[in-house]
Amino acid sequence: MSALANVFRRCSANLSFARGLQTVPATLNTGHAEALSLIRSQPQRYVVASLVGRKYLLAPRDLLTVARLRDVKVGDRLALSDVHEVGSRDYTLRGDPTLPAGLVNVEATVVEHTKGAMERIVKFKRRKHYKKTVTHKQTYTRLRIGPIELTPTMPQSTQRQA
Amino acid sequence: MPRLNVLAAATPVVNRRALQSKPSNGHAVFIPQIRKLVFEYCDAWPSSSNLRRYIYNHVEDLAREHPHVEFVVKQRPSKEPIIRGLYLNNRDKVIGLKGFEVTQIQQKVQLLLDSSGNKIVPLKRKTVVSSTEAARGIWSGLHVPEPYRI
Repeated sequence: MSALANVFRRCSANLSFARGLQTVPATLNTGHAEALSLIRSQPQRYVVASLVGRKYLLAPRDLLTVARLRDVKVGDRLALSDVHEVGSRDYTLRGDPTLPAGLVNVEATVVEHTKGAMERIVKFKRRKHYKKTVTHKQTYTRLRIGPIELTPTMPQSTQRQA
Repeated sequence: MPRLNVLAAATPVVNRRALQSKPSNGHAVFIPQIRKLVFEYCDAWPSSSNLRRYIYNHVEDLAREHPHVEFVVKQRPSKEPIIRGLYLNNRDKVIGLKGFEVTQIQQKVQLLLDSSGNKIVPLKRKTVVSSTEAARGIWSGLHVPEPYRI
């Protein structure tokens, strides 16, 4: 991981169309603190984090459904440890592959352990008197993403490893 | 006819949609959705014997572990045993316990305590459900230097 943060900046040329986006990425070589202050200056932010081996693009207040986590209880708060990217409308800070620990703090609260709708798998072979139906309800855990906190200073500077 | 001057609004212009709150239980504070758990058994019928044993042995500890839930033990004479969970969205989940052993009853009780009371719907494709607009904006093929051609 390098000591300098690569912050990608987007330019929106047509400001009258607020939701439109013109992507002309430019790399700014700044420190982590300046990168976070740029992201903090904008109202909305998102993270790309890994959970249960999969990457998700998450914003605060999102409801994330993952496979049932057997070692957590409803109401537990989980800190997302593998954050790959944090960004706002015009600025993105990417890790290599993850951002340093403690830079971005996101918590997810376990809202419920639930099951999906009944799935029916029908196996059939014609003219062989073979028909089988397997039914099951897949188990899921739903997590609510909390606020994305950007710490003001890097815990410690890191050098790119040879 | 001369153009009229545009007057300021007499009352403050309020975006009513912005005043609506979006449900986000667990974002700042988590409120458990189950409020009551009712155990209904029959004193006479043998099909309720396992539930009676469960009530005798486990319900008190369960109530201590979950202080936010109201536990009710109720008679259901000449009927099969059931448990009923009542939730904050005014729905209830009822599970029949006919032929269940004590360990199986424990599993069903845990299922009710873990649930939010929402209807069981397909969840396979609903990975992230978001009520916020995209932070990066939505790409538009008309607002780029080179218009996107299909």
